[in-house]
Amino acid sequence: MKTRFVRQILFYGILLAIWEGLALAQVWPGYIFPSPLDVLRSLAEGFRDSTFWVAIGISLRRIAVGYGISVILGGLLGLLISRFSVVKDTVGNLSLGLQTLPSICWLPLALLWFGINERAIYFVVIMGSMFSITMATHAGVRNVQPIFIKAGRNLGARRITLFREVIIPAAMPSILAGLKQGWSFSWRSLMAGELLFVNLGLGHLLMMGRELNDMSRVIAVMIVIAAISILTDKFIFGTAESHLQRKWGLETKT
Amino acid sequence: MSLIIDHVSKSFPNQNKTLPVLRDIHLEIQGGEFFCIAGPSGCGKTTLLNIIAGLEPADSGTTTWNGKRIDHIGPERLMIFQELGLFPWLTVLQNVEFGLKMKGISAKERRKTALVHLEMVHLAKFKDAYIHELSGGMKQRVALARALAMDPQVLLMDEPFTALDAQTRDMLHDELQRLWTTTKKTIIFVTHNIREAVCLGDRVAVLSARPGILKNIVSVSLPRPRRIEDHGLMEIVRVILEELKGEIEKTVRDEFHEDTVR
Ligand SMILES: Nc1ncnc2c1ncn2[C@@H]1O[C@H](COP(=O)(O)OP(=O)(O)OP(=O)(O)O)[C@@H](O)[C@H]1O
Ligand SMILES: [Mg+2]
Repeated sequence: MKTRFVRQILFYGILLAIWEGLALAQVWPGYIFPSPLDVLRSLAEGFRDSTFWVAIGISLRRIAVGYGISVILGGLLGLLISRFSVVKDTVGNLSLGLQTLPSICWLPLALLWFGINERAIYFVVIMGSMFSITMATHAGVRNVQPIFIKAGRNLGARRITLFREVIIPAAMPSILAGLKQGWSFSWRSLMAGELLFVNLGLGHLLMMGRELNDMSRVIAVMIVIAAISILTDKFIFGTAESHLQRKWGLETKT
Repeated sequence: MSLIIDHVSKSFPNQNKTLPVLRDIHLEIQGGEFFCIAGPSGCGKTTLLNIIAGLEPADSGTTTWNGKRIDHIGPERLMIFQELGLFPWLTVLQNVEFGLKMKGISAKERRKTALVHLEMVHLAKFKDAYIHELSGGMKQRVALARALAMDPQVLLMDEPFTALDAQTRDMLHDELQRLWTTTKKTIIFVTHNIREAVCLGDRVAVLSARPGILKNIVSVSLPRPRRIEDHGLMEIVRVILEELKGEIEKTVRDEFHEDTVR
């Protein structure tokens, strides 16, 4: 644990030193290759004049709505697929196919249907993440050990209660993995969408940096985006995962 | 009160043939009786319990409890499965509460009942533990508490103590006999260990190798509580084993034969 920490500090320290050295040596002009200090300055400025805060707020709102819808629809669809073989053979099969499509491929279609607006970005985000949640939910429910279902029925669980009290909790490790994957898909879709066409948001800020030839700004925004990814991974999904692990024990984690 | 298994037969489809598992089983079990079923592996003991629990239908014959035909799961007959099926996402207490919750009993009421039953199996201290934190013997006791909390009339136990070490098993034998004497449940206890069956049962039904046919029913009238090493047991065990020896050899031979044919 401690050696790992030391190694990481050293590694990043050296990385920063090389970066600073290259910048100082002016191998490339400053507007192409800013120094770490320039980036830090851009970062501070971006937060001070609140452009970053606004962009973060807007991107987070979009992801909350898009991912939220994705979770509800995807989860519901997954449950329906596991419950009814008709749905599985039809919609389930289609979902499996659509899941393979990179989300940004939905963009032209979204633009034609909705025009350049919020609804188009929601569409891309939802299409990019929903089916992976659907498939994970279905896989989780399908792989529930039969003994749990037998025990649940034996203790008086029927249909809805069996689903709610036994099947869904038993499938939770797999569902959580799907939620996590869905999150990362939807976050990527959102960034791609914002970069390519919509106003505001972090992706758009990145594009604006390019248009202004402001490289340190571009890198500062990239750092903000990476930080948000890491924080959600660690704090939201990491917490949920360790919670499940504590209950199930390490070895049964699927 | 009595459980009547009236000429029950059951077979399973097996590679486009049918595999006869139980053949013409006829048993009458009295209410409050500790009834053991013993037989070699694969002879259909679990299948028979499933039929009594109402988890599986018989092909022919009927099963009745107090004259009422068993054709579905009922709260008066509760099974403790060979694999237990404790829920890893719930604490020990929540596991014991589960059936009561399904019955629609209020949170306060079911907590109280669950705690009483956890105390009965000496696990009250572990009420907030998760299942993976328990030893094998403790898991058995949680499963027992979870079943007893439902206050069933018949308790169906499927080889509950097979995977345990001898000391733990002896302790649980004592505990189970004590619980049976105090609660007066009808217990149908399945095992492939004849000595265990004789130790626990008022009567022991011996099944033959597959297809399971009822070979014999032996009454055991030794005083309780019995210990597995009691001398009186050995005589009865020996008689049954003598009879079963042929059966076990037959099973091994059959399975060996099936393997070499494939
Ligand atoms: N659902 C099923 N489908 C097909 N065959 C089955 C099924 N359940 C049981 N069998 C077969 O029926 C036979 C009896 O199974 P059962 O589980 O009742 O045996 P058992 O006496 O409980 O054995 P053990 O002591 O090993 O637990 C076995 O040969 C098994 O392969
Ligand atoms: Mg069995």
